[in-house]
Amino acid sequence: MNEQGRHEGVSRRGFMKGAAAGAVSLAAASTFNPRAFAAGSDKIRVGLIGCGGRGTHDVGKCLMAADGVELTAMGDMFKDRLDRCRRDLRTSKDLPQSVKDRVKVTDDKCFVGWDAHQKVLATDVNLVILTQPPHFRPSHLKAAVEAGKHVFMEKPVAVDPAGVRSVIQSSELADQKGLTILAGTQMRRISHAVEAAQRVHDGAIGEILGGQCVRLGDAMRSWGPQQREPGWSDMEWQLRRWLFLTWLSGDFIVEMHVHNIDMMNWLIGSHPVQCLGMGGRQARTEPQYGDSYDHFAVEYEYPNGLRVEYMGSQIDKMTDRNDQRLVGTKGSLVADFAGVRIEGQNPVEIAWDKNDPCVKQHADQIEAIRRGQRLNEGRRIAESSLTSIMGRMSAYTGRALKWDWALNASKLDLTPPAYNLGDLPMPPVAVPGKTQLI
Amino acid sequence: MKENEVSRRGFLKASAASLAAAGVAAPVYAAGSDTIRVGIIGCGGQGTRDLVSCVKSSPGVQIVAMGDLFDDRLQESLKKIKTDVPDAVKVTPERCFVGWDAYKKVVQTDIQMVVLTTPPCFRAMCLQAAIEAGKNVFMEKPAGVDPRQMRSIIKTAELAQQKKLSIVAGTQRRHSKKYQETIRRIHGGQIGEIVAAQAYWNGSDMLGYWKWWDKENRSDIEWQCRSWPWFTWTSGDHIVEQHVHNLDVINWALQGHPEQCMGMGGRAVRNLGNIYDHFAVEYEYAKGVRVLSMCRQINNCGSGDRIAERVVGTKGYADVDRGVIEGEKPFKYDGPDPDHYVQEMADLIAGIRTGTPINEGKQVAESTMDAIMGRMSAYTGRALKWDWAMTASKLDLTPPQYGWGDFPVEPVAVPGKTPLV
Repeated sequence: MNEQGRHEGVSRRGFMKGAAAGAVSLAAASTFNPRAFAAGSDKIRVGLIGCGGRGTHDVGKCLMAADGVELTAMGDMFKDRLDRCRRDLRTSKDLPQSVKDRVKVTDDKCFVGWDAHQKVLATDVNLVILTQPPHFRPSHLKAAVEAGKHVFMEKPVAVDPAGVRSVIQSSELADQKGLTILAGTQMRRISHAVEAAQRVHDGAIGEILGGQCVRLGDAMRSWGPQQREPGWSDMEWQLRRWLFLTWLSGDFIVEMHVHNIDMMNWLIGSHPVQCLGMGGRQARTEPQYGDSYDHFAVEYEYPNGLRVEYMGSQIDKMTDRNDQRLVGTKGSLVADFAGVRIEGQNPVEIAWDKNDPCVKQHADQIEAIRRGQRLNEGRRIAESSLTSIMGRMSAYTGRALKWDWALNASKLDLTPPAYNLGDLPMPPVAVPGKTQLI
Repeated sequence: MKENEVSRRGFLKASAASLAAAGVAAPVYAAGSDTIRVGIIGCGGQGTRDLVSCVKSSPGVQIVAMGDLFDDRLQESLKKIKTDVPDAVKVTPERCFVGWDAYKKVVQTDIQMVVLTTPPCFRAMCLQAAIEAGKNVFMEKPAGVDPRQMRSIIKTAELAQQKKLSIVAGTQRRHSKKYQETIRRIHGGQIGEIVAAQAYWNGSDMLGYWKWWDKENRSDIEWQCRSWPWFTWTSGDHIVEQHVHNLDVINWALQGHPEQCMGMGGRAVRNLGNIYDHFAVEYEYAKGVRVLSMCRQINNCGSGDRIAERVVGTKGYADVDRGVIEGEKPFKYDGPDPDHYVQEMADLIAGIRTGTPINEGKQVAESTMDAIMGRMSAYTGRALKWDWAMTASKLDLTPPQYGWGDFPVEPVAVPGKTPLV
């Protein structure tokens, strides 16, 4: 099995055996029977947990991806966010009427508050879309898998090693229960990247000797509420500004740039073995940006001494960059969201075929569910999330650190003392050399 | 010792012939004396250490003239060399110069060689004066702080070439046997075609090494010149002042300079002066070879500290700092590696004595330019090209005039706001 097969969990041929075995164990373990979908005509009922911009987007793509898919339940921390999502799904100009007609959420299937996810999971949905802030992903995934639901979850899937370990455990449980898990790293399904990864794995650039992954973008200043409203507790303010709170988002190296870092892991066929990072906040320093950094640079070392550089920023008016590069014994590769170019002994240019990978990922999952196929990206996305997390941990503390330590021994757990809409001091910005490596 | 004696004999023949052929006036001492009379401009810690290394490197070195902006710094240095190398100190009070024109006075004495160890911002000015006055030069790295100064250094290095004068720079790794033997193998193809490299100087905040002077009753410029490592206009920031060493090794291994770069950085801890405390820069060399540079001056980073250079090729990689090659043809340098600070002086003086001047002026200007462009990119958030920086950039960090006047501290750079000049 090639590396991609390893990352995707299991090859298609391998699945048939695994699914059969899974069916046996499921019969014993759960009343849920994936074979019910094999007939093909059954509806897939989708529940959305996390009704923000990305959740709204993902539901639209999911409903577009296949016939017979309906949104039947919604949950969010805040009622205004849920209402807006529900309204947007009805009125969006981007969605055809046929898709809007599949939004069949009734008032009694709308849930808000800390336990909204549990209430969504208690309905008769088959598939949940997990799009609350990344901090909540491990606990929501665990609850969803335990409830016997298939899961589409946005990246990243954790903000700390404790969360990563939980996601890996839940993914193993999903395998046992024959449930599918798909992650929103849509680059894995964009045509040119898929073909490029295959060529790299087949040796198009030879043995990989170096690489770079650079994403420089704007400061996201228009994102989220700009002012704290009277009556918002510390917790509510942080939840609504979650993108800029490390405990909620993992910081942008995790929250956004996991896309790029995941692609490097994919192309290289492994996660790194250690890293050395640096970073800080130099331009985006206002208090409403929480404890987030605005730049990171991390050197990741993969097996065989392969060193790969990552640079990322969220600073306005910097030079724009968003590219992945590899160099090997037989050539080099440069990839971005639009295409891939391989130079050297096996030159080729591959352009994006313009198909929407955000639709394709849902289509793949729905097909897998209906055919009873195994599809589980949980461990893979947990590993890519940890790659980003360890880079952040290194930059925050100044320390170099090893994968095995981060995965197995790190005790970092960013969970707040309590989940309630009360006091929660703004965490201090990390200071390398002072912030402890935990 | 023996080598130097041979060299000295060789010098008399070689220099007489080559100088006559070139129609260049022979250095004063060619007439016979074997003594090398040395002056220094910039009597700080590094300058003082360089003088001691110079004396130890070769026989017949005499220290005869000293100059600094500040008398207290000069006296401190004089006291130190009188302790460390008493026999070589021939400085008289008449040959101790302080103030803004001290550098001119030092190069007007009958020295044959001058050690330039002022803060980097004055290097180009001092080098020009020294070469115009016909003096051989040892100058500390970096070669300056902005593109304008690098243009000046390169021009002066060409003049030195014409005048057959030596310029050796304090990028002492170039004079290490370990580095030389490793780089020679890289150039010989032992790691194949070079495809990537990394350079690092992640270390302490240097406060235990460089003094921070309080402003007190000092003028802006006096205070900033005394606390020069902490201001960009005086030191170039630490990527220039310190990390230039590692970038120089990459230029050496890759036999060229970068074509463009994209940098980032900031200050996560430091609150003195206006320099950053960390940088990361991606440099792109010819044929698309990309190099990662990281430098940091933050204490207590433990396992994150790293001072090293690695060069990656199609047949292996070299950890140049360790003198190690891994791959198809492994290598480990286990020969002698004499003190680089002494060796660079020995090489310089041997070159002078044998009439085969070493000229590292352009080389150190280019390595310094690597660092300067990396800093410019990090400060502004803009990618930039070597050719633009070298020929078109108008960045000039020099104060309006030298003297003890006002010179408010520039704010710390903010990428996306600080303009690319």
